[in-house]
Amino acid sequence: MPQPFLHDIPSALAALLEAVLLFYLIRRKLVRLYPAFFLYIVTVILQSCLWHAAAWYWYPLQLQAWTIYWSSQAVVIFTRWLAITEIARHVLADYSGIRRMATRILFVVGTCVLLYALLVSRYIWTLMVLNADRAVELCIATLVVGMFLFARYYRLPMLDLERQLAIGFCLYSCAWVINDSILEHWHGTHWDFLNYVNILAFLASLLLWIGAVRGAQQPRNLPVSERLSPESYGELSAKLNSRLLLLNNRLDHMFRSGDSR
Amino acid sequence: MSIPILLFLTFTLLLVLALAWAVRPPKKIVLSVDDLFNALSERRHYARLPQILQSLREDDSGFLSRSGHQALARQLRRDRKRIALSYLNYLEQEYQLLLELSRLLVKIAPEVSLMDEFQRFRLNVRFVLCCRYLRWKLRLGLQPWTSFTTLSDMEGNMTLQLEMATTQIGERAAIAADFPLFLEDRRRHSE
Repeated sequence: MPQPFLHDIPSALAALLEAVLLFYLIRRKLVRLYPAFFLYIVTVILQSCLWHAAAWYWYPLQLQAWTIYWSSQAVVIFTRWLAITEIARHVLADYSGIRRMATRILFVVGTCVLLYALLVSRYIWTLMVLNADRAVELCIATLVVGMFLFARYYRLPMLDLERQLAIGFCLYSCAWVINDSILEHWHGTHWDFLNYVNILAFLASLLLWIGAVRGAQQPRNLPVSERLSPESYGELSAKLNSRLLLLNNRLDHMFRSGDSR
Repeated sequence: MSIPILLFLTFTLLLVLALAWAVRPPKKIVLSVDDLFNALSERRHYARLPQILQSLREDDSGFLSRSGHQALARQLRRDRKRIALSYLNYLEQEYQLLLELSRLLVKIAPEVSLMDEFQRFRLNVRFVLCCRYLRWKLRLGLQPWTSFTTLSDMEGNMTLQLEMATTQIGERAAIAADFPLFLEDRRRHSE
């Protein structure tokens, strides 16, 4: 594709980093633990190949190339969504009560953000895809931040790997929102520059993820003290039973004193 | 630039700021289930509120001022303010402990009430704001009666909520413990 040399450098670098990330994911045996994240990286690589092939075939860029790009982008966003859900599931796995509550709250918040983003957007059919993309990205970023807020409020332990993967996803989604908003304002006249900025944001995320995956020692290494061990549960159960007994005794006393009046 | 685009950019910026705040590792506070029960069984600081309120009354210092002991009255006010501030610190510590324990309870509970959690969060915000307001009011030498009562009531409510929650868990545990006995009884009856 006869594009300026400067545009190819970040793309080539991104491809290289994606390959490095895949390599580390496989080498650290994290594929089985994070299949959705692995799928996401594979999808990104495939999309990149598809886009370059389409751009080469339909040069100068035509509607067909853009259709392929945005269709593949929908698939990439879907796999990103799966990867984020996977991280959230890992973080909240041991806390069923919090998980149920967080799922409900984040679902409502995510839906509200999605609807808000769609309603506020301008109704121009040429910007429809861009607006939908921005709404979804904003929703993803909000959900990641929401998950972090839950984890912080309830002091939930989080693996560094999961934390950094989620940070990367959030920052990348935020970059997309900014990108799409500015693109809407400039009516696509600065597409090349903005695409360049977006690739840089993705490169930063890739570097973060590579660092996290490289540093991951154990697949699950949560501090044991934060979990309720069977011994602790037995202790809790015994104490609760004695407390219930105490309450029952008090109730008996109340009944007796009521009878004596 | 149109308002919706500005709103999107602002929202994104807020998200990044919230992310920066939320990703910091939380404070390492190791609490056990024992702490939960100890905290619920101990005599709490809020129970000492009447004495504190009594000590903050103006009657004694007013009497001293009127009887010509200005320096002593000033000293009395200073000491009482210091005591009230340290009482406030203890109250805040207790509240934070209860809050931590409520988090512990939520972690081990298989089912969490959304309304209870929301109420606790709301109470927490209110408590923190009230506490800061009251501390400044005391430092400036103003009368803090109403706020003091509100704070103590809030801490009392938190204790009550925790007691209710532990009772619920206990009931579940008791039901779970009784269930095999119930099956055993049925088996015996059938024999």
